[in-house]
Amino acid sequence: MTSPKLFSSPRTQAAMLMGPAILVYATFAIWPIIEVIFLSFQSWDGLSADRAWIGVENYRRIFTEDPVFWAAFRNTVIWTVMSVIFPPVLGLLLALGLNENLFGRVPLRAIYYLPVIVAPIAVATMWRWMYDPFFGLFNQILTSWGMTGLIQDWLGDRKVALYSMFVAYTWQHVGFSMVLFLAGLQNVDRSLVEAARIDGCNRWQGFVHVTLPALMTTITIVLVLSTISSLKAFDIVYGMTGGGPAQSTQMLALWAFTQSMQIFNFGRGSAISVILLLITLAVIIPYLRWSQRREEASR
Amino acid sequence: MTSIISSLEDAEAPAKRRDPLLIVLWIVLVSVALIWVAPFVFIVFTALKTNPEIMSTSAFAPPETMRFENFAGAWERGNFSTTFRNSFIITLIKVPLGLVISAMAAYALARIDLGRIGKFLLVFVLFGAMIPFQVMLAPIFTLVNGLGLINSYPGVILAYLAFGVPYQVFILHGFFRAVPKEISEAALIDGASHFTVFRRIFLPISLPVLAALLILDFVSTWNEFGMALVLLQDPKMWTLPLGLMSFQGQFSRDYAQLNSAIVMTVFPAILVYMIFQRYFVSGLTSGAVKG
Repeated sequence: MTSPKLFSSPRTQAAMLMGPAILVYATFAIWPIIEVIFLSFQSWDGLSADRAWIGVENYRRIFTEDPVFWAAFRNTVIWTVMSVIFPPVLGLLLALGLNENLFGRVPLRAIYYLPVIVAPIAVATMWRWMYDPFFGLFNQILTSWGMTGLIQDWLGDRKVALYSMFVAYTWQHVGFSMVLFLAGLQNVDRSLVEAARIDGCNRWQGFVHVTLPALMTTITIVLVLSTISSLKAFDIVYGMTGGGPAQSTQMLALWAFTQSMQIFNFGRGSAISVILLLITLAVIIPYLRWSQRREEASR
Repeated sequence: MTSIISSLEDAEAPAKRRDPLLIVLWIVLVSVALIWVAPFVFIVFTALKTNPEIMSTSAFAPPETMRFENFAGAWERGNFSTTFRNSFIITLIKVPLGLVISAMAAYALARIDLGRIGKFLLVFVLFGAMIPFQVMLAPIFTLVNGLGLINSYPGVILAYLAFGVPYQVFILHGFFRAVPKEISEAALIDGASHFTVFRRIFLPISLPVLAALLILDFVSTWNEFGMALVLLQDPKMWTLPLGLMSFQGQFSRDYAQLNSAIVMTVFPAILVYMIFQRYFVSGLTSGAVKG
């Protein structure tokens, strides 16, 4: 098992093994991040040769002359806050329940996880149909229960559209949090829980003093992943409302896309992307620091 | 201490006292699960009805006769033969290729000592796992367009590969690093190259992890929408999610066929998930949540 001389240095071998992945990743993932920063200081329609450097003009315009940006910003904040509360809490409750030795818990877990597999664009299409004001599921149920007063134009009313969309998003994402929590619960020492019970703790005290501290790592991971995936919300908005009615469901990711790819204002679209990128980094960097410290502590 | 607890458990076990709280919990979990599957039931029922039937009967009334012709109709109208083929080709090339390059890179990062460069490269790669690529749709379009790869399989596959690398390297790196040194050292001392060690030792032992990542990546590639929307603008190159989106735009009033189209788009991913469910969950959680 001798290898040719050329490949003998470990460094050369490492370079050859890493080469393809690093090359494609640097070109198609890292370079676009750098490019989007450059583009945000330029004026460009995306195709013509003429790309002019205009400094912070794009940012100035976004902040002062673009009312849609502020609507998108506000909706993104509301969306993110809801996303770090509802799906993780529901997911934790389901995981706690399904961690007990219950009849049929394996198929139950599978059912809760199923929507995670569905393409977000299909979720958007499904729910748009269920929200149909005339023949959709929700208004039909309300009618049959005699609660006609609650009938809504779920996606057509700008007061409720964002929240209707969030219900669909929650339906899709709860299973994801649930699975992470189930994995985290496997690390909770059963005998500690039992010991706490014997020492006279009730269920709630046992949960607060034993289970919850042991789940802290998982909780942090779930919250970070939920934040990131909420900032990514694009398919569901594009497919469900397109940002409407009256920009009431517009969000930063979609507005950046619209500016670049539909209005062909690449500079402004990129500036919105950079703002979204900064928000993401504000979440990621503390998280990476934290996980690095944890890694070092565990060594 | 533990022996006391386990003996207590043993003493309690034969009595099998049903905890009333657990019964309530079970009822709640089953009821919520019914809500969770309801949308699927509703979609499948609608897909099998006629349009007049949809408008006259209740949403949860099962179809009078199964109208399977809705599926044929939607297949025809939604150009499913084209979009299905494109999705299939892209997924078939992207998923195995992505796993191979990620596994090679993860091996090198985990098992070849590169000093500070190795550490830097690892952070460099992991960083990408966190960035939402929606942020970069415009520059990715610019780049792929500059390479003349818009509306082509290579264009979209290269972009997908780049965004699959970080997560897969992250998981595989963790797995490879946990393999005991003795296993590879003997082979290396005997003169085997890292290529040989990777192929003969690490690939075989990582098959379960690779299977898990394969399933995860199949589903996410199959479902991807944003990047395809930007890079594949010619309807002949569209993937399933793009086809479904366009179907919704054009035939949104033909509820029966719209729902048939949803079912056909979603079905392959659900099928793969049901068959490989065990791997799926282990792939998702290995590395992400370790004790």
